[in-house]
Amino acid sequence: MIRFDNVSKYYPTRFGPKYVFRDINLVIPDDRDVAIVGANGAGKSTLMRLLGGIDFPSSGKIKTDRFISWPLALSSGLQGSLTGRENVRFICRIHGMEADRDTEEYVKEFSELGDNFELPVGGYSSGMKSKYSFAVSMGFDFDTYLMDEIMSVGDAGFRKKCESAISNKRENANIILVSHNTDLLRRQCNAAILLAYGRADFYESVDQAIFRYQNL
Amino acid sequence: MRARSAFSIQRDVIFAIFIREMVTRFSSYTLGNIWLVLEPLLMMTLFMLLFGARGRGAYGFVEAPVFIFSAFLTFRLLWTYTMRQTASARNGAKGLLEYRQVRLFDVFMTRTIIEGCLFFVVGFILAMGLVWLGYDPWPTDFLLTLWYCVILWLFAASFGMLACLVGSFAREIEKMVSMLTMPMMFISAVFFPMSAVPKHFWPYLTWNPLMHGMELIREAWFGNYSSPVADFDYFMGWMLVCFAFSLATYRLTWRRILSR
Repeated sequence: MIRFDNVSKYYPTRFGPKYVFRDINLVIPDDRDVAIVGANGAGKSTLMRLLGGIDFPSSGKIKTDRFISWPLALSSGLQGSLTGRENVRFICRIHGMEADRDTEEYVKEFSELGDNFELPVGGYSSGMKSKYSFAVSMGFDFDTYLMDEIMSVGDAGFRKKCESAISNKRENANIILVSHNTDLLRRQCNAAILLAYGRADFYESVDQAIFRYQNL
Repeated sequence: MRARSAFSIQRDVIFAIFIREMVTRFSSYTLGNIWLVLEPLLMMTLFMLLFGARGRGAYGFVEAPVFIFSAFLTFRLLWTYTMRQTASARNGAKGLLEYRQVRLFDVFMTRTIIEGCLFFVVGFILAMGLVWLGYDPWPTDFLLTLWYCVILWLFAASFGMLACLVGSFAREIEKMVSMLTMPMMFISAVFFPMSAVPKHFWPYLTWNPLMHGMELIREAWFGNYSSPVADFDYFMGWMLVCFAFSLATYRLTWRRILSR
């Protein structure tokens, strides 16, 4: 369970503090796959960063006992001058995995990169990058996966593969998904959080949240 | 995923960044990581030729190349490099901070450790070269020299950290620090001992804690040199204050730096 207690987040700007969230209280259950919907600038990515532990609330607390992945966005956290394999190794090391050979091979196979896996990540196309980042995250066993628009880039075949990989992980993990693709959200998720007006509301049904979002 | 203790997370992260820094730092150069040693080596050879050729035996207590070796090795590698590397840690941390277990402090620590190791590696290689040429480069009091070097190293690390933290709120600090690097070398008794400086300049130069550090190291390195001005308490005091201040600044600002 991930619990938000009175979480506020603002960014200082020259017009004074700009609030993204004001006193949100939220509980994300362990067994639901959550879609995050909201307009541009509503705070979807900020929410992901807060969940990923790489940014912190200005006030309030986020409590959880789950292993949450880093926020998977396009090419986030990848060093362009390192090869695909070296980047995987780095991520393995910071997660305390000693024998990382299996993970490397898994990522290489899953991402369908072939020889490109041994070339610097900086040279990858955006499609390759999204495949690669997705494959890397699937190489680790998290309790919750944070995905920020990661599945909307790859080609149709790969997208199918992603969805089946996620289905396999579902047995003991859940996902939190940000996307503007409502079909994808409907397929993958069974709960939603709607971000609007500095608030975050939990919806039991994705359709309802999308309906509300489209009629804001 | 299994839960790890805070210590083992930090250890894993520092090791991972260490490898990453080693791989990326000179990856665009033809000679690669050889530059790690080659860069300070070339620079010091140049200085040795430049100053050594001019002032051969001028200081009385030691041959010029060994004098230059002891001074430049400690000043450039321990002070300038460590300070510069920690001060630019924020550039190195880009992309790293996407992972919750990696913090800016890990980058500071890794870079400080790398520079410390580099000091030993380069120092050893160069000392062997000097031995081969018939000089005696080894410190008279090895442990005392090491102790002063550690203080200088920590001073550099905390100063660089402070510059990095303050610099992320006001970028002018970067400019000021890089502007100060060169003049600091001239007023820190690097290529001359304080005994060679006229007495009426001492009151001005003794304000500089680095000068005390260099003089203390020189005293420990060369048994027959006794500095007229070196003050251990003053040097140590600067280091401790700077160290405490930089850690406090980090603790107060690290979250705000994340959203910048």
